Amino acid sequence: MEFKTSNGRIEIDAIRDGDSFIHEGMILHTGEDLWLEIEGRKHKAVATKVGDVWWVHVMGHTLQFEVVEAGASSSDDEGGLTAPMPGKILEVHVNEGQSVRSGDILMVMEAMKMEHKIVASSGGKVESIHFKEGDQVPQGAELLTLSE
Amino acid sequence: MLKRTLVANRGEIACRILRACREAGIEGVAIYAENDSGTLFTELADIAVQLDGQGLAETYLNQEQILQIALDNGCDSVHPGFGFLSERADFAQAVMDSGLIWIGPSPEAITKMGDKMTARITMKEAGVPVIPGEEVTGGLEEVLQIAPSVGYPLLLKATAGGGGKGMRAVHRQEDLESEARAAMREAQNAFGDDRIYVERLLTGSRHIEIQVLADKYGKTIHLGERECSIQRRHQKVFEESPSVALDAELREAMGEAACDAARAVAYEGAGTVEFLVTPKGEFFFLEMNTRIQVEHPVTEMVTGVDLVREQLRIAGGQAMSCGPLNMRGHAIEVRLYAEDPSNNFLPAIGELKKFIAPTGPGVRLDTGVREGDAVTPDYDPMLAKLIVWAPSREEALQRMARALDEFVVLGCTTNVRFLRELCTNPDVVDGWTTTDMIDRLWPDGWTPDQAGKISDAGLLIASACESTNHGKTVTSSGGDTVIPSPFSTINRRYP
Repeated sequence: MEFKTSNGRIEIDAIRDGDSFIHEGMILHTGEDLWLEIEGRKHKAVATKVGDVWWVHVMGHTLQFEVVEAGASSSDDEGGLTAPMPGKILEVHVNEGQSVRSGDILMVMEAMKMEHKIVASSGGKVESIHFKEGDQVPQGAELLTLSE
Repeated sequence: MLKRTLVANRGEIACRILRACREAGIEGVAIYAENDSGTLFTELADIAVQLDGQGLAETYLNQEQILQIALDNGCDSVHPGFGFLSERADFAQAVMDSGLIWIGPSPEAITKMGDKMTARITMKEAGVPVIPGEEVTGGLEEVLQIAPSVGYPLLLKATAGGGGKGMRAVHRQEDLESEARAAMREAQNAFGDDRIYVERLLTGSRHIEIQVLADKYGKTIHLGERECSIQRRHQKVFEESPSVALDAELREAMGEAACDAARAVAYEGAGTVEFLVTPKGEFFFLEMNTRIQVEHPVTEMVTGVDLVREQLRIAGGQAMSCGPLNMRGHAIEVRLYAEDPSNNFLPAIGELKKFIAPTGPGVRLDTGVREGDAVTPDYDPMLAKLIVWAPSREEALQRMARALDEFVVLGCTTNVRFLRELCTNPDVVDGWTTTDMIDRLWPDGWTPDQAGKISDAGLLIASACESTNHGKTVTSSGGDTVIPSPFSTINRRYP
């Protein structure tokens, strides 16, 4: 089974034994409650699925794992600069065709009444800009496209 | 005595006030915007009235509409909570002009303390020490002109401000103009007033505030300090009382200065005087918050004073019920925010699919949300305040760590793990907390310490849940076959 995490893609092949799953010396008992046995101690876990993402709480940590459909390509990991939150574009600092360096501020948007800078993570050329000042943008919207 | 109070607020603080009203035998009236219908605070009120309109300006900031609801529903008083209209002198005045009681200080006191420049001047005159800085009245040009004389690093603050909005730290001259523009714009958007002022940023100092309480009978007391140094983006995340930086002598000196500050504006009710305390033990007046504060529970836990109840008592014309200051044990509050601490604390949204709060001895949760609620970008991202009390600071940190480990929030990213790591951070454990500590400890941003074991465990759980369709079959079927708890079948007596 394959998942996408903030650290990239990761695969797991747990051994199933009835309602229990075994992996790397850990045993997970499933049912109405989830119990993890690790190093001789037990920990209650809580998990719920939102869309394609499993949210997991265990040992005081919260983790997210996005289910990857078998055979899906990894191209969706790349792409443009997206809005981290729904909000409003306050400033556009670049023009189409302009060259930018890593760290340059491309846009400033307002979300939750705070200002957030959209910064170039690498150098390149601004291919297209999809929003202008004052536009409302939904979460995840591609704000602009940079080419290498 | 008050009989019916309108609570001009929402969420967590509305819940806190409505519960205090219920305890005091006062009827509570809630107002709510359409997108808040069905939330917890509307249920805790005796009467809940929906506000017409969309957005803050038409709803929670709409003075006329709120006042009309208070009058139409037979209220005798208005409690503003914090934020929103709590520090609007014009609203306080309008409430009083309508013949209602304003649960807070006089409009004159709010005006003097709400405008940072007037506050500085008033405090200087009252003999309370203030931070070196320059007051700006002439817009951007004057900011640019004055900044070099104040010196770097400096802080730009909204004159009408609070809550970190319109506040900018500037470390280099070349950043000044863009930061000043941003600060003025944020100030304009948040407070409708773009005036800012420039002051020296005192690095390595602590943010310590003194709770004061004053009644109509000339009694003004302080209830000790709250240490609020751990902040991100100038917003507090971790507050405690008492502060390790204060001994009895400094506490008394700051407490006296705070009472002087309150007396200088003939203060009534609950208020907070904020100070910066330098490593050398000098203290400077920052501002006075003329309202109940987010972090008031830590004071309640160590002093045993119910601050909201005292506000209701004082506004109703009674004397405060507090005796001499008696601080006991140690209390810590953390603010659970819907935000991503590993991505520069960016606000997060989502549905609270699971929201399981910790319980147990010495644990208090003040929140306005519950499982199933949606976290939207419409309001402040603070979901809850978790407060613990324990006999000592060490035990309070251990209790907070335990409680945060138990806290399950799934469906919306929160700072819960960040808060948990603070509890065992060596600087925090040593009490070495300063306002710049988050930037100092994590200059390149914070990431959770999820050792291989944790991520392996999470992965195992996710894969098992995906294989078994976990959570899909729990509801409805099989509800009758639950095995009864042994405690309900055994006729057991507890001593």
